[in-house]
Amino acid sequence: MAGRIFGPWRPGQTGATSDLTDTDGVVTPSRESCGFRVRVEDKHFDEICVHLGGKIFMGNAEAVLQELLRTIRNQPMKNVEINLQEVEYIDSSGVAILVAVSRASQSLNNRLSITNVPDKFKGFLHLFEEPAPAPSGVLRPPQGPNLLVQIGDGCTALYNNALDILAFIGAAMEALVRDLSRPRKLKWDGLWKLIERAGSDAVPIVTILSFLMGAILAFQAAVQLRKFGANIFVADLVSVSICLEMGPLLTALIVAGRSGAGYAAHIGTMQVNQEVDALKVMGFDPIRYLVSPRILAVALSLPCLTVIADLSGVVGGALVAWFSLDLTPTAYFNQVHKVLEVSDVLKGLTKSLVFGIEIALIGCLRGFQVRGGAESVGTATTSAVVTSIFILTVTDAVFAVLFYYGPRL
Amino acid sequence: MIEHDPQKEAETQMPEASAPTELIASVRNLTVGYASGIILQDVSFDVPRGSVFGILGRSGCGKTTLFKAMIGLIEPYEGEIFVDGEKVEPLAEGKSESILRKIGVLFQSGALFSSMTVAENVALPFRQYTDLNETIIEQIVLLKLSEVGLLGKERLLPSELSGGMQKRAALARAMALDPKILFFDEPSTGLDPVTSAELDRTILRINETLGTTIIIVTHELASVLDVADRVIMLDGDEKTIIAEGDPRHLRDASTDPRVQAFFRRSLSA
Repeated sequence: MAGRIFGPWRPGQTGATSDLTDTDGVVTPSRESCGFRVRVEDKHFDEICVHLGGKIFMGNAEAVLQELLRTIRNQPMKNVEINLQEVEYIDSSGVAILVAVSRASQSLNNRLSITNVPDKFKGFLHLFEEPAPAPSGVLRPPQGPNLLVQIGDGCTALYNNALDILAFIGAAMEALVRDLSRPRKLKWDGLWKLIERAGSDAVPIVTILSFLMGAILAFQAAVQLRKFGANIFVADLVSVSICLEMGPLLTALIVAGRSGAGYAAHIGTMQVNQEVDALKVMGFDPIRYLVSPRILAVALSLPCLTVIADLSGVVGGALVAWFSLDLTPTAYFNQVHKVLEVSDVLKGLTKSLVFGIEIALIGCLRGFQVRGGAESVGTATTSAVVTSIFILTVTDAVFAVLFYYGPRL
Repeated sequence: MIEHDPQKEAETQMPEASAPTELIASVRNLTVGYASGIILQDVSFDVPRGSVFGILGRSGCGKTTLFKAMIGLIEPYEGEIFVDGEKVEPLAEGKSESILRKIGVLFQSGALFSSMTVAENVALPFRQYTDLNETIIEQIVLLKLSEVGLLGKERLLPSELSGGMQKRAALARAMALDPKILFFDEPSTGLDPVTSAELDRTILRINETLGTTIIIVTHELASVLDVADRVIMLDGDEKTIIAEGDPRHLRDASTDPRVQAFFRRSLSA
């Protein structure tokens, strides 16, 4: 009888071997390079012995598994003994292979036994004796619910989210009013730091971006207005749009990205580390301790930043008008003085005050909604920015309507 | 993908200085610290292969700093660390990748990735270091989880597990690639005595059945006396090792008042 040999199997093996293929004595290079050996021996008419040898580790586990599965499927009517006497090395992947082969053997209604386990590998092989469940796709992402369920879940989440926001706004406003009515209770020291971070630290980025925004607006307007000889109206367009619309909105978006996201991450991490719980058990109201100062900080900082943004944007427009439209700064600022009313600036500042309160509220709310670990903090931070952008845009639209139809200031 | 030849690894010997007994890790004249100052100075010791080795000392004595240096998380000012014959280089320089396959680390907090399920956490090393297909990976993951008694929890997120379960899941991940050395940083932290004892039993079982060398950083006396074959004790004032040997022997026979104070939980030192 001929043996089926993979790898450098040594001669002089005892026992008859079955002729499963015509590769008697042939060393298959691919298997040799894989470092393992498989030899099949007929023990009885209803039993085969598979001699496994060499090294079985994670680098060749798949090849070993395929070889063993092919072997037992080629002899579907026979029980299988796997002899590990010649194994030089085996790790967890080897045990996983044996479990998989055992399961395949059971599916053919055959019995599988492991024999001659070298002492040094018995530690690994004890896992084989303990029943381990078959792979059932635990590593595959779970299937999501169907579309209708998802839509339903989405609507419920939206409804609950709206309720949470309303409840949080109520609680935060109550805390804020209480703090403002008893200013001695407010943590002024912390407030100045918060104002510094939300306000002073944002001055450079707000100045640069507003300057560029003013310049871009002026440049785009110049291209069109030059055709009609209406260069002077660049000043109208830039000053009104910056002070009424772009300045407050752009500044609010920058602060939402900096401070709103920062508040969500900070409070979220405090939530994960149970710092919020610690505040509660020490008798602090987390809303008053964490939210009120942040609302005040952003609500006070944002109008100041908006003034800087307005000035910077108008100056940016003036520079473009000077260089590309030959409009002197004197003419430009005279026109700004004529067209821009104090009420326009005040409207912008009113909006920025409301924007500031919204940004702080949303950032803090998302922070308090964190549950679990690091991923939840990341989600809360993203959500704080996205929700802020949405709410700011909606609020801006509401203000636009109010200012248009409302009484003139 | 890192080349992995188990036989070659098995044949690897420690450097000459540590060759006489079979050692798996060797620390030579290690000086390590942070910008704030030196934490440990001129520390040398050897870890025998297959042992359970404890690093003891009071809080702030430099246990975790030594632990971090041994796994390459911080760069020593001076000295060398060898693990299974290879010199440990700082991980940031990317030179220690072949060592990473040989060590498993259980951090104090477990450090499971919160966005992944338990099974995905354990599967991560296989996806990083092997080309195994998903079915085999899953089978090994199930075996590992069975070994730490977490079958049935595969699909849960770490936040849905108790503290003890998180530690066991992290242990399954640390053991994923059948490391030669398992490092434990304060494994009992945050666990009740029963869960802590269960973890100790698991550590011993891994050491006995798989022959894995275990290095434990701890100040839990009961745990050390139960599981460790050999310990070193660090001292924050001297910034070095003040005692080394069998923990039971140190407890009963050491004349050093600091060692006595530690084992007797007294303030006399």
